[in-house]
Amino acid sequence: MAVVEAPPVPAADADEAAPRARTWTRGLGVAVPAALLALVAGACFLAPLVLPVPSPTGGNILEAGLPTGSPGHLLGTDPNGNDILSRILYGGQTSLIVAVTVNLLGLAVGGTLGALSGYVGGAADTVIMRLLDVLIAFPSLVLTLAVAQSLGPSLTNTILALGFFSVPAFARISRAATLSLREQPFMAAARLCGTKGWRVLLRHIAPNIAPQLTTFGMLGMGVVIVIEGALSFLGLGIPAPAPSWGNMISQGQASLSATPMLVLWPSLILFVTVLAFNLLGESLRTRWSVR
Amino acid sequence: MTAVAAGRHRGVGGRLFASPSVRLVGKRLLMAVPITLGVSILTFWVLNLIPGNAAQQLLGADATPEQIRAMELQLGLDKPAPLRYLDWLGGAVTGDLGRSLVSGQSVAGQLGERLAVTGELVAMAFVVSLLLAVPVALLAAYHPNRFFDRLSMFVSVTGLSVANYVLALVLVLVFAVRFAVFPAIGFVPLSESVGGNLHSLVLPSAAIGIPMFCLYTRFLRGDLVDQMQGQDYVVTAQAKGVGPWQVLLRHAFRNSSFGLITVVGLNLSTLIGATVIIEQIFALPGLGQLMLQAINTRDMAVVQACVVVFAVVAVLANLLTDLLYAVLDPRIRYGSR
Amino acid sequence: MAVLLAAFLAIAACSGDPGASTGAAPADETSAASTPQKGGEITVLEDSAFAGSWPTGLDPATNTTGGANIAMMGAIYGGLFLLTANGDGGDAKVTPNQAESYELLDGGKTVKIKIRRGVTFSDGTPFDAEAVVFNLKRNLGATCTCTPKWPLVKDGIDVEGGDTVVLRFTRPYASVINAFPISNVNWIVSPTALKQLGDDKFRVTPVGAGPFTVVSNQLSSELVLERNAQYFKDGLPYLDKLTFKSIGGDQAAYQALLAGQAHAYEGMNTVPLMEQAQSGGRLTVTMQPPTSPYVVQLNSKATPFDDERARQAIYYATDFEAIAKGLFKDRFPVSQSFTAPGGLFHHDAVPGYRGHDLARAKQLVQELGGLNVELGTLGNYVAKQVMIALQTQWQEAGITTTIKDYQLSTLVQQFNSGKWHAMLQTAGAWDPAGGVGVAFRFASTSPFSGVADKALDDMFAEAEGTVDPAERDAIYTKAGQYISDKSYAPFGLAFAPTNLTAKGVHGPGLTTRIPPLVVNSGVLWDEVWRSQ
Repeated sequence: MAVVEAPPVPAADADEAAPRARTWTRGLGVAVPAALLALVAGACFLAPLVLPVPSPTGGNILEAGLPTGSPGHLLGTDPNGNDILSRILYGGQTSLIVAVTVNLLGLAVGGTLGALSGYVGGAADTVIMRLLDVLIAFPSLVLTLAVAQSLGPSLTNTILALGFFSVPAFARISRAATLSLREQPFMAAARLCGTKGWRVLLRHIAPNIAPQLTTFGMLGMGVVIVIEGALSFLGLGIPAPAPSWGNMISQGQASLSATPMLVLWPSLILFVTVLAFNLLGESLRTRWSVR
Repeated sequence: MTAVAAGRHRGVGGRLFASPSVRLVGKRLLMAVPITLGVSILTFWVLNLIPGNAAQQLLGADATPEQIRAMELQLGLDKPAPLRYLDWLGGAVTGDLGRSLVSGQSVAGQLGERLAVTGELVAMAFVVSLLLAVPVALLAAYHPNRFFDRLSMFVSVTGLSVANYVLALVLVLVFAVRFAVFPAIGFVPLSESVGGNLHSLVLPSAAIGIPMFCLYTRFLRGDLVDQMQGQDYVVTAQAKGVGPWQVLLRHAFRNSSFGLITVVGLNLSTLIGATVIIEQIFALPGLGQLMLQAINTRDMAVVQACVVVFAVVAVLANLLTDLLYAVLDPRIRYGSR
Repeated sequence: MAVLLAAFLAIAACSGDPGASTGAAPADETSAASTPQKGGEITVLEDSAFAGSWPTGLDPATNTTGGANIAMMGAIYGGLFLLTANGDGGDAKVTPNQAESYELLDGGKTVKIKIRRGVTFSDGTPFDAEAVVFNLKRNLGATCTCTPKWPLVKDGIDVEGGDTVVLRFTRPYASVINAFPISNVNWIVSPTALKQLGDDKFRVTPVGAGPFTVVSNQLSSELVLERNAQYFKDGLPYLDKLTFKSIGGDQAAYQALLAGQAHAYEGMNTVPLMEQAQSGGRLTVTMQPPTSPYVVQLNSKATPFDDERARQAIYYATDFEAIAKGLFKDRFPVSQSFTAPGGLFHHDAVPGYRGHDLARAKQLVQELGGLNVELGTLGNYVAKQVMIALQTQWQEAGITTTIKDYQLSTLVQQFNSGKWHAMLQTAGAWDPAGGVGVAFRFASTSPFSGVADKALDDMFAEAEGTVDPAERDAIYTKAGQYISDKSYAPFGLAFAPTNLTAKGVHGPGLTTRIPPLVVNSGVLWDEVWRSQ
């Protein structure tokens, strides 16, 4: 069994001389982005509880459009007089929830479907993949508008609509990764040893396709946050006046040249978050693939 | 080619027909039919959920319910949905996409003009983003965590965190308003001027292509590094004394291209979605613009036709994806299990 | 880290600044405006969410969005009557154009319209009384909010003496002429061309007698027009070519103008961009006189607003002065009735109007044992911001408010369902009797009204039928007072859209002020010109 546990550990470490330094750097590679994410999440979820942050909605209309650095409003106010910093913090809660939920949904449902399809093969594979092909070929715009106009915008509807489209994506990637694993020697060995299907999936396939799926998921975080904002053009997304980074950006673009800060601030925090997710994804992948 | 024809010309035709790759293509092309059908059924069903119909649009805001009913009768909207679908399908298979419920114009005619615009826009965005992403990712993966890799990461993460509609507006402000090098709006047909045509599509295709480039770069670079670090065939190759570029290009890239192809294939529909907003900003008379309008006016005939066009493109793209898998990795045998 | 993005935005922000190309704008305007030049072409942008959307084509009998497309309709058909004004929007009146004159007889029950002689359609066929009657009958059966509801007697449209059209009404209907420029009966198509092309082709390439003829028309996307060589006014139009393009939003339109790819944009809504365009100095910014104030329609036919106290609470909780100041930087005046300074019969204040009074609002809400309200609006940028501001104000008074933005089709359904509470809309027009006028929002017969009150219906009918302006003014003042007393719907600021034009483009309604008919002003396209 030990033979088939995993691919052999490569002896590729050219700089074998400094294994300690490498582990240390690798540790840092996870710690730094994780700390960054913790900081962002902490600021969004905890700061409003602890610090006297003004409400993100219901601002004083007479204080509308204040510039960055105004007293009491560090990042200024939006056209309705709401504090931008507060909107970024509260909006972050929504955006992070949406991004994480959508990607987890895609990962869990799509990843499983894809791995199953790729591993089992045959008719099941054909049926699953063709059904997913229908979903992939179905323009998201139509569904989005249908959901928006018949169910109305809300957090749940937004997550469902976005999740609906992340499932086939994860499934395809997971299947592709599984396919290329299927013919690997350790898989054949596992089969020969009579290991049960679900066990192979769980113990051999899942850890091996995890890196690719993780990379994709981490990339997906930013994409989901941005698309959530774009949905508000079509009547879906987080309904106003509640903030999200995406809808702050999409509202701000209406007067981008005159009030660039309305777009810049949420874009900046989005950048930091996406960067952290990316770095984290990369470090995790490096860890997993070099066992 | 029919079986009879194949039988008669045993020589070339027979060999061709027996070739596994041709059979694969044939099989997948056959498969494309039910998929397209599935998409059109799904669309019909989903659109039926949206409140309101074209009759209301045609009759304006203060039409009486009787007027609306009469118009529904005239447009055939009173029939049950499955029947309407079959009517539509009957026309569609004979190449008759019908007339727009709202404007009375031939749907096929409207699609033709606009398909060219969107097709060109998407193709340009797609080709450029891919052509840039591959070398950048290779260079970045060649020396992971060195300067170029970090730079590429910075750029691609920036690109991934900028919404394409914001990017579009900023590009226009910089390259059309500040430095008047590209036009801010409009489309010059290819028939009018090739140079003008390309010129008019630079900014819109950049607005769509840049985020795609960033996504492809990130994904490919990550996968390449993964291959280089962990996979035993790479180790073997390295042990055999194959040069690092050789390993990267011939072994790692070949394997990583699976993932990339998958991501590219998946992104095609995202790409098409992006055209809707981008066409609005650049005042381009494309398919996305048409489809959005048609949904808003509940012009089912037009929406259906647009969706089918998109679906066919997506199905073909997926077909191509699967074929490429087979070409790139002979271990994957279709239909052998 | 995000220097890149910041730098991009910084460059972007700079480009909107005054820069080097400010120039002496006022001098240029006055000297050039006096001497129109012939020739040249311009591209006009229209918002894809409103005027830039013409999905049903441009035939007045089948165009359901005619009220939004008055720019295109005016350019192709001209019009029997036009709304004109002096340069600053004063002295606005409806003047005959393809009509030569009109008479009101029998106290307003009969209207005689004399058609100008010698006018031809661009296909060469005569524009005569017969053609006009054909069109009136055809257009009155049309399905557009721009179709007027004339109280005609049976067979009430006739030709008299070869050049005169006679309209006979069941009751005095004196306001009919003022309503012409905003209704589809104003736009006359060539009956011959219609017959030749058939309905479906005609709506794409219609033929009229206006200053321009259609070269190509891609619905809701691009309309290319060229000079009508047979136009009945000598030396007009000035322009050789006129193109309308649909564009997604104010920011994109503003940039296209700065980049020089378009020359005019009608109906800018976004206040920060208006300010930027004004301070930038590279474009001419023309603010039209406001004619339609915002109104918060309250559905007095259902709970909770069938209770007058609930309506009063909304009046007291609403502070449009603050919204005008905060959101619109005091650019637009606040109305207390369905009229505005740019339109007819306007008075600044309504005696006894319930202004902002938070304490009384709270007290009323308490009396009612709480108040739950759903407030909706048609989803555009400005309306949504006003709606959010109202939500904030109402919640301060203890009114639980949920907000919702609709698309046109879903809005219509919501109105038809009768289940709505409050809607943020605009009310009134240049003449309250015309177009989306006061009756549209307040008459019991309108599906878009939250009010069913016989007394109000009678007042509107009486005002419509009255010939004497002073008498009409008195009736509308009374109606405004009645609405205020009954707390039917609080009014807000009278918003008017702004036109942006490139330097060197001039034209009545484009760079001069003409009161807006429904939303945008009726530009007189034949007199638009461009300095070479």
